[in-house]
Amino acid sequence: MNEKSALIFGQNDYTFEIQKSISSHYENIHVLTLNGDDEFGFDLSDEWDALSNIVDMNDCVVFCILEDMAENIFLTISLRDTFKELTIVALARDKESSDKLILAGASRVLPTISTTANVIVEMLEKPIITEVLHNILYEESDLQIAQIKVENPDMFEAKYPADIDWSRDHGIIVISIVHEDMSSEFIYASKEKHHIIRSGDIFVVVGYAQDIKDFEKLIGSRCE
Amino acid sequence: MFKRLIVDWAYFLNTSDAYQKKKLFFYNLLENSNYKYKKYFDLFMIILIFISVVILVREVKSHVDDSLLFFNNYIISIIFFIEYMLRLWVISSVTKVIIEQSEYDAMLGNEFQVLKPIKEITKVKVKYMLSVKAIIDLLAIIPFFHQLRLLRMFILFRVFKLFRYAKSIQTFTSVIAAKKFEFLTLLVFASIIVFVSSVLIYVMEANNPDSPIDTLFEALYWSIVTISTVGYGDITPTTEAGRTVAMFVIVAGIAVFSFTTSLIVTAFTEKLDEIKDLKLIDDIAKIKEFYLICGYENLSKEVAKKLSINNKVIILEEDPLKVEQATKDGFVALNHDPGSIDSYKKLRINVGTQVKAILCLSHSDVENVYTALTVRSFNKDVFILSILINKINRNKLNFAGVNELFYEKKLVGVIAKEFVGQPVAFEAIHALRSNYNGIDMQEIIINDRVLESFVTVGQLENKRYRVVLLGVYKKSKKRFFFNPFDSIVLEVGDYLLVIGNGQFIDEFSNYLHKKGSK
Repeated sequence: MNEKSALIFGQNDYTFEIQKSISSHYENIHVLTLNGDDEFGFDLSDEWDALSNIVDMNDCVVFCILEDMAENIFLTISLRDTFKELTIVALARDKESSDKLILAGASRVLPTISTTANVIVEMLEKPIITEVLHNILYEESDLQIAQIKVENPDMFEAKYPADIDWSRDHGIIVISIVHEDMSSEFIYASKEKHHIIRSGDIFVVVGYAQDIKDFEKLIGSRCE
Repeated sequence: MFKRLIVDWAYFLNTSDAYQKKKLFFYNLLENSNYKYKKYFDLFMIILIFISVVILVREVKSHVDDSLLFFNNYIISIIFFIEYMLRLWVISSVTKVIIEQSEYDAMLGNEFQVLKPIKEITKVKVKYMLSVKAIIDLLAIIPFFHQLRLLRMFILFRVFKLFRYAKSIQTFTSVIAAKKFEFLTLLVFASIIVFVSSVLIYVMEANNPDSPIDTLFEALYWSIVTISTVGYGDITPTTEAGRTVAMFVIVAGIAVFSFTTSLIVTAFTEKLDEIKDLKLIDDIAKIKEFYLICGYENLSKEVAKKLSINNKVIILEEDPLKVEQATKDGFVALNHDPGSIDSYKKLRINVGTQVKAILCLSHSDVENVYTALTVRSFNKDVFILSILINKINRNKLNFAGVNELFYEKKLVGVIAKEFVGQPVAFEAIHALRSNYNGIDMQEIIINDRVLESFVTVGQLENKRYRVVLLGVYKKSKKRFFFNPFDSIVLEVGDYLLVIGNGQFIDEFSNYLHKKGSK
């Protein structure tokens, strides 16, 4: 995600939290209100020309977070119709609206109910895992999760990822590898050896900040 | 002096743990249908009753062994007598009445009046003794006096004791009792028909030499046999007038029969929901551990679906339509207000021992605060998790005693942050959370069995099982050790946090628990 601006469609409780969370990633964040009167107001009438006055639509990510799912889906389909390459992140309540939003052209969907349910169940059933994941995601401990792009595959001497002792050699744990074709694979997905590390692969790693930095230097660059 | 002794004795018994424990035990055994050993006692008594009846039937035409007769006449009777006395004992507290009276008199500065509590105790005990159940119990003991042959028939009263022990009979009688007035009306109607038709048939037939009806008793017998639609045919009217009466009785009989049937069916239909609820409550009381979800919304449905894979889940919801929906969705849902202490009492839910956690998932902070406070008012320890709808209510929910608060909007914010910052990492965590492609993250607890074979992290060989060891949670230090050194010593109560294919994790876990793995 290298866009400079973010547009948030919808003014509600989610707006504040999303705005707060993504503020460090974007130079400009604009919140647009449905049926608002000022320049940051919008309606669902397909008139998106005014948006170009606010941000460069080619360098922007859009969050569709209207609470009325029918309106949110309509907004998503309307934006996709006008901006074919735009990154659209949409809020979905349940699986049904999640599927519809993907059909409507959303790049990513944030399913609120199923994600909330997953986290609540994890909290109860796997409290330690939840705490650890929470600390990693919220960066409340020194542990971090990062994605690192391989630019120097020669150092692995054509080894299979599962054969490398990441934790002992580099002090980090590799969870999964995303190949160039964007297919993702868990490090020990099967007992078979599938893939030799190539340039352009992305590692998802967990570790302490310094270890991750050292690892980055060794194999490539952090992928933002 | 005597009065003083009585009061001292009452206080002694009332404060004696041994006495109270024994009394409570017998009370539970005899009267508390939720007591786990009561069903064995009931079964034992039912067997005794059947033995009694079998001996009675056998005795009619054959010789019964003396030892069996002794068992029937003495042993069973004595057991029933002991049961009768125990019931009389546990039905009310004598000591409590004496103490209350003595304290009352002391408060007013009067001398203790011994007669008053005795009167009150006698009243309560006699009232019990005159109840139908107690009379049946007493009559069931009478065959003890077996020398009087007629009294042996009282053995049949032992059969009536089945009402006490068989729950289905109790349910049936309660259903019938609910329609007492209708049955009484029917009985009066049938009695009038029987009376009138008996007299009529007697008047019409008794003087006819060809008619089998000669006495009023025969007329009454014929009336009852006919009105009940049984119609043996051993006695039939021969005169035209008599047959006219018969037609009248037959039509009335059909009316009585259909009315009775419809009454029983209606009574059962009306009570069906109640019976089902009672059965459900009984079933819930037997569950050792479950999650209690208060409020049924979309989120509750998702949470219940996921939790019920490995756990029992009970839903409490005030709105009957939502309860119906939850039941249709395949969950155990009860139409009770989760914000009322009475609900938990009625449902006989032991929050302290049975409930793993209470989840307040209503889409209203007001209701969640109310539920949390209600639960906290009678249980300080149970884990309560609540969702937070409006963040200005965070403190109120914390104040109400919620252990864990969950603010959905913040979660969405965090996910958005991860997504825009590290989309690949976000996908990886999301995949882990949703068990995508069978990849899972699990906790494996270290117990004595594991420690017998594995002492340090280096011995675990997780890589051989294609499992990533993310770290060890040390219980003693309450700290998570990421990527632990091989030399770290494992202790009982530690958790291994592993990531991998679910099946591989299971294999790894089995390997750890297998004796002599190393």
